[in-house]
Amino acid sequence: MKTIHKIVVGVIVMTIVGITAVACSSTKKGYTDVPDTATAAAEEEFKIEKSGAQMWGETCNRCHIAPSPADYNDTDWETISLHMRVRANLTEKESNKILEFLKSAN
Amino acid sequence: MKKLLVLLIAVVFGGQMYGQTYNTFEPSKTQFMIRGYGHTGFEYMDSGDETESTFLGLAYAPIFLYKHSDRLMFEAELEFVLEGNQLETGLEYADVMYVLNKNITARAGKFLLPFGTFMERLHPAWINRLPNAPLGYGHDGIAPSSGIGVELRGAFDLGGPTLNYSVYATNGPRLNDGSDEPEEAGMLRFENYEDTNLAKAYGGRLGLLPFSDSSTEIGFSAYSTSDTGEQDSEYEDVGAFLFALDFSFVKQISGLGGVIDVKAQYNNSNVDTATYFELEDDILEEYSFDNQSNSFYGQLSYRPTMASSDFVKKLEFVGRYSDFNAPEGAEWEEKSVQYAFGLNYWLSWRSVIKLSYQTTETEGGHDGDGLTNTDGLFVHWAIGF
Repeated sequence: MKTIHKIVVGVIVMTIVGITAVACSSTKKGYTDVPDTATAAAEEEFKIEKSGAQMWGETCNRCHIAPSPADYNDTDWETISLHMRVRANLTEKESNKILEFLKSAN
Repeated sequence: MKKLLVLLIAVVFGGQMYGQTYNTFEPSKTQFMIRGYGHTGFEYMDSGDETESTFLGLAYAPIFLYKHSDRLMFEAELEFVLEGNQLETGLEYADVMYVLNKNITARAGKFLLPFGTFMERLHPAWINRLPNAPLGYGHDGIAPSSGIGVELRGAFDLGGPTLNYSVYATNGPRLNDGSDEPEEAGMLRFENYEDTNLAKAYGGRLGLLPFSDSSTEIGFSAYSTSDTGEQDSEYEDVGAFLFALDFSFVKQISGLGGVIDVKAQYNNSNVDTATYFELEDDILEEYSFDNQSNSFYGQLSYRPTMASSDFVKKLEFVGRYSDFNAPEGAEWEEKSVQYAFGLNYWLSWRSVIKLSYQTTETEGGHDGDGLTNTDGLFVHWAIGF
């Protein structure tokens, strides 16, 4: 058991170091590319992203039935969103987009 | 006199007008909120020799949320349960959390342990699709539910798939050495609020949602400690390693006309072999056993959300299999298998009436060495708020 314990501790330490390195590293590009405006606009137009409503349906239902936006006001949803982001281990994007949807639909 | 009246009117109404003009009623940055859940019901249990039926007093679990800022929050959950003619109270969790950046959140205090997903995410009565927990959880269970310590957790968006993680250090479990409860010698007790030795328990969970629709999640959890016994006792160096595998699939499938929800978790506990003592005919005898336990549950539920009838839409059909195997040779040796079937009616997204039938076959355990069959009928009403 001592060996397994040492392996577990080692894996956890490496996980913490790895996650910290990835999470704290800059996401900025090393150089600034200058796309022509038309291409950039076209890329933006064709970027397919899930809506907050879709994320609300998919993410909340993983554990419980998705809540009705009307049941809480904007301020309450902000508190609940932070609580759920941590409790359900949601990404920042999921949490923010779901919050935006709930606030727009209540 | 007239001047005095004018002055008084100016002060009274002027103050109100000022307040109405300048108080914009904007929400403050800090927010305090009480949420939680409660449940009540009726149970009928028949174990052959013994039959009991009882209405259950309401169990009430308020959750206090204090949002200090967009990054800092305090959360706590209390539990009040009427049990055995007494009001039992408990502190489910109480922790402070701080969002360090988009991928890392730090927590400290007493928090629910991400050992699998059942205890951390699915056990509240308004979320759990059946009236009780599967075998292997709870007082005599092998899955740790909460711990006191520190934790880092977060999630990464992998451009479709999502990866979530948590790593933590807690006080760890305490080994029941049998001095007070010889019938439970070798069991791990996770309610170790004051550490009894210098070793800490380290653990974590890694969860992967491989598909962009977030329908599927697979997770692996580990929990390890080098010492579980009391400091300077002969059991101090007894180590333990636990792991869990969990699976979740939730998706609305048009062909089936509703939402399918599959949940499963396997728990395994491995504690170092140690020598314990039992009193046999006034003679103290020593014994040891291979201290390995495991439990499993698999649950399938279906909600016909695409049905044309409003009544049928709110129904849910549930089936669950669970088993629990405690070590052979231990005083608490047990092999149990349970089948549970349920029919739920959702009054709203957070209020459900559950009707359930469960049958459990137990070999060994606290009730004796023989085979026991227990049938139970449950009607529960749970509400989240």
